[in-house]
Amino acid sequence: MKNKTRAVLENCPGVRIEAGEALFPYFRPIFQSGFLFRCQVGKSIEDLLFRQLSLKKLFVEEKISTVFLDGQCVDDISRTILNDDSVVAFSSALPGLVGATLRRGGFYACLRNSITYRKKDMSVDARQGTITIKLFNLLMEELGPVFLRKGIIMGCSAIVGFLQEQREAFWKEIHAAYLGDNIIAPRDLSAESTYGNGDYITIRIDDRDKFQ
Amino acid sequence: MDKILRVNMGAKGGPKFTVEPIGVYTGLGGRALTSAIVSKEVPPTCHPLSGTNKIVIAPGLLSGSIAAMSGRISVGCKSPLTGGIKESNSGGQPSQVLARLGYAAIVLEGKPEGDDLYTIYINKEGVKITVNNDLRMLGNYDTVSKMKEKFGDKIACISIGPAGEMRLPAASVAFTDMELRPARHAGRGGPGAVMGSKGVKVIVLDDTDMPMRQPKDPERFKEANKVFIEGLLKHGVTGQALPAYGTNVLANILNEAGAYPTYNFKQGTFAGVAKISGETEAALETERGGVPTHACHRGCVIRCSGIYNDKDGHYLSKQPEYETVWAHGADCGIDDMDKIAMLDFLDDNYGLDTIEMGTTIGVAMEAGFLKFGDADGAINLIHEVGKGTPLGRIIGSGAALTGKVFGVERVPVVKGQAMPAYDPRAVKGLGVTYATSPMGADHTAGYATTANILKVGGFVDPLKPQGQVELSRNLQIATAAIDSTGMCLFIAFAILDQPETFQALIDLLNAFCGLSFTGNDVTEYGKKVLTMERDFNIRAGFTKEQDRLPEFFKTQEIPPHNVVFDVSDEELDEVFNW
Repeated sequence: MKNKTRAVLENCPGVRIEAGEALFPYFRPIFQSGFLFRCQVGKSIEDLLFRQLSLKKLFVEEKISTVFLDGQCVDDISRTILNDDSVVAFSSALPGLVGATLRRGGFYACLRNSITYRKKDMSVDARQGTITIKLFNLLMEELGPVFLRKGIIMGCSAIVGFLQEQREAFWKEIHAAYLGDNIIAPRDLSAESTYGNGDYITIRIDDRDKFQ
Repeated sequence: MDKILRVNMGAKGGPKFTVEPIGVYTGLGGRALTSAIVSKEVPPTCHPLSGTNKIVIAPGLLSGSIAAMSGRISVGCKSPLTGGIKESNSGGQPSQVLARLGYAAIVLEGKPEGDDLYTIYINKEGVKITVNNDLRMLGNYDTVSKMKEKFGDKIACISIGPAGEMRLPAASVAFTDMELRPARHAGRGGPGAVMGSKGVKVIVLDDTDMPMRQPKDPERFKEANKVFIEGLLKHGVTGQALPAYGTNVLANILNEAGAYPTYNFKQGTFAGVAKISGETEAALETERGGVPTHACHRGCVIRCSGIYNDKDGHYLSKQPEYETVWAHGADCGIDDMDKIAMLDFLDDNYGLDTIEMGTTIGVAMEAGFLKFGDADGAINLIHEVGKGTPLGRIIGSGAALTGKVFGVERVPVVKGQAMPAYDPRAVKGLGVTYATSPMGADHTAGYATTANILKVGGFVDPLKPQGQVELSRNLQIATAAIDSTGMCLFIAFAILDQPETFQALIDLLNAFCGLSFTGNDVTEYGKKVLTMERDFNIRAGFTKEQDRLPEFFKTQEIPPHNVVFDVSDEELDEVFNW
């Protein structure tokens, strides 16, 4: 990642939304298309899931059955190291021979031998970085809120486009919205002018129940 | 289910039927039965549309009972698309109804001299065959509506659309679902054309007053069914992912893997995938008052189907399946879910195989006949097929012929049948099955992921690339066996991961039929089916040269992984050496 882009991502403005849990499912299109996420790179996917996201071992073992790094099927998440710009996708178990074939460490792994991730002979220093996360199917519901609570990064035009498509029910779920430290009207989130000349924005959702 | 209905459509003075005991075919059901009859009774070198070809429609061994998931039905014939043996199967209600009426199979034979269209009505009283030319060139939906008007709504229908009447090689046979919609299809290989050549437009089944089929050992059967259902419901795939999103849940991950054939197999990822994924499709269905979780037949507990409504909340089609969305979507560069659902409806109504049609249009787009992404152009092409224009007849003849007509090199077919939605360069193990299956390129031919439990042919090390051939062999054997039970192949996921669920399936079969099958017996059953099918193809003139993928898969790399299919011919020739 270029230093300039890295700096932009580190300093992009933040939006915080206080809302009910019912807001999370509206973000499904973003989950499956992918969003940026600040985390420690130079660490394994296992480290991301267990230490950085605090997910339970049983959940990871039973629910996150299919993992891709840069489009390649991952078998061993403890030996797969993240780098700046990595694209990581998570999916639950899926149907068909192909579903079984793409599973991590699955019996049919040899059927997709040519697209299997293999450990690279290079070391990556552990540091803060930005990766792309994609969440599919059941994991949209179960992991999506985890990432939204921590804060996801999106391009300003993408988030404005997403918000402009939302109907009344979406806005009704929002209790309050903040840009930086300043409270703003929720509907202003969908206005391009709200973000000035920024390229990226961090969005974080806090569950409304905590504030009642 | 101890009798076979044979209808000689070419008998002097008009069609004649006989009902005979199952006889030498005792113990066979579904694919095993259709392939046994075709292999034994059809001359392998016959013309598929001639009077000597037969079309066999057979419920599975467990169909008509209360066994969960037992509603698949097999259709067998010599294929007008591949020139080899064909078994194409479908969900829907007819399997259960036909089995309860006591028939192990319906066999349509001969060929009428005139061009009359016939309706065959079957109920507990017997069989009635009538001329019904009012149905000529009607779509499947209108045909079933007319049957409903005439016979009431306690029926199930097996019908063909205009494509079958025109004997197009991509024509399907339609089966009605629980709501009497002709939305489930035996699509692959053109069985609709063979039914059309027999002059049969629709078979109406009425099982009023017919009881459920009873198991030989009711207590053991009941217990096994309970364990079987529990196993399906607790599994992540059959209990959660499939009911929530349907089969199209695969789109995103195939795309992520770079194995989602796009723009006629030019690349492995599609930029518009999020617009046509299963997740998006299910959300749209819910938003419009459709249903994202729906069974195609009674007794299904996975319920991977759904109802797709248009923007105004009116029924547009059943939930298009993964392969349909891919074929009419990514393969043609179309990312509009409503247009894809419309294409799905038109295919169902005209009676066409959605995989063959989508792939064929992709080939036509490759030729420059339409632009990739031209959804309205694709819809018009399907209408051309339905109307039977010269262009439509070319398209309705499938991808191989269309590729020749338009001078296209990249035509993704094996044995003349279009390849489904998984690129064999990225997932090479599937390519082995595509190449060697007696059915032509078929994603379900090696679908039943039970081989590790069955341990067919010994243990395979999954980490060695050489395992692909062995696995393909084992998977094809397991699939052939499951296709014969009438069980939906989607049970495979639960029985792969949960040995007790697999055992419950064996127990179901044994308790129902009074058998003492073991896993090894199931394996031998599957091998027997494949051996019959391979033998038919050899006698029809097939050689090992037909067990190959098209050359471009070996020479044209597919982005993003830039890989080719490099399993050697020698390895492919080992698949059926057992």
